[in-house]
Amino acid sequence: MDIQAYIQSGIIESYILGLTTAEEAAEVEALKLQYPEVNDAIHEFSLLLEEHALKNSINPPPNMKERIMAAIREEDLVKPPVLKKRDNEDYFAITQNSIRPWRMAAAAAVILLIVSAALNFYLYRQYNNKNEAYQALLSERNTLQANNQVYQTHLREWENAAAMMADPGMATVKMNGIPGKESNMATIFWDTRNKDVYVMPNKLQAPSAGKQYQLWAIVDGKPVDAGTLSPDCTGVCKMKNIPKAEAFAITLENAGGSTTPTLATMLVHGAV
Amino acid sequence: MTLLKQRDEAAFNYLYDHYSGSVYSIILNIVPDRELANDLLQEVFVKIWRQIETYDSSKGRLFTWMLNIARNASIDAIRSKSFQHSRQNRELTENVYDAGGSTETNTDKIGLRKTVHKLKEEYRVLVELSYFQGFTQDEISKMLKIPLGTVKTRLRTALIQLKQVIKP
Repeated sequence: MDIQAYIQSGIIESYILGLTTAEEAAEVEALKLQYPEVNDAIHEFSLLLEEHALKNSINPPPNMKERIMAAIREEDLVKPPVLKKRDNEDYFAITQNSIRPWRMAAAAAVILLIVSAALNFYLYRQYNNKNEAYQALLSERNTLQANNQVYQTHLREWENAAAMMADPGMATVKMNGIPGKESNMATIFWDTRNKDVYVMPNKLQAPSAGKQYQLWAIVDGKPVDAGTLSPDCTGVCKMKNIPKAEAFAITLENAGGSTTPTLATMLVHGAV
Repeated sequence: MTLLKQRDEAAFNYLYDHYSGSVYSIILNIVPDRELANDLLQEVFVKIWRQIETYDSSKGRLFTWMLNIARNASIDAIRSKSFQHSRQNRELTENVYDAGGSTETNTDKIGLRKTVHKLKEEYRVLVELSYFQGFTQDEISKMLKIPLGTVKTRLRTALIQLKQVIKP
């Protein structure tokens, strides 16, 4: 082999600049061990290249050194020692992108933070919605309970009324509206045994302020006070004990009742 | 060298002070963007530090080893998708905005690439494509429509001439 021709072919320069194929590089490395001239040629061009590069060097920004030293210290903390490579192929190995572990960690932390914040916001909104729904349910329940109590009261009143109507010892006196007041109506339940009187205001308008309904028993042609109707009497209300009467009537009197009925305000009347 | 292999920080300091300019120069020969070049300089020196144990001085000079790490990292970077993408965007906006050249390096006007420009055109093109742009000789043969054998011999002649030019 003409080693001088080989050296002058430019293969040495190609090899040093990393422009040879793997086979060509292996050939140069083999011949280098065999021929000192090849070794000298490699050394010569490497040195020329290095001198040229030093002459043409461009200084990096001054902050780069500190940045790189920091990166290296960082690297040493987290990187286990590099294992020795098996063969020579890595001499001109294509470099891989190094992923710096701390960057990965920082990125992961930021992503976690964002996810966590979003989740917090989402859960907070859920909590608020649920809380509002709960409050709405609570007030609805209170309304229903109040309504229920109203209905229970009404039911008790009607049960009482029904019991009285069914009682054979109870006399019923229906008081219809007098001419001109036909829209009014009330019923008297009169216990024939103990003479207790109960009134049920079936159709009586709520009295205006300062006024009250008063029940009268007509005894021997004369009106006898049988008590005033409480404003909250909606069902059957107990009145005074009347031993004897031919008829009953209701008038609208000033609050507290009167000793004699105001005939002009009579609403209903019914004979026994 | 022994100190370097033991990962002595002072030895690394010396290595950086002595070679960072040359390494930076070769990166800027390939990567015009200053920001990216700075990132690459860091990547290259971290890699040197990490792989210093695998360097075999019987194989060649330390600088040659470092130079190849720097070149490979730079070519990887300009061939990556993200770089190609930003490059395209830049070309689209170039006519509208004046880049001003503040962060762009003219890769042809410095270092080894400047020296390569002294070669004859037919040689210059081959060194440009293979060394600074990382195309294989096969790819170059197809791009320039020259037989592969011609590419190989012409490139070698180009490198011999380059050697003559950089000789003091």
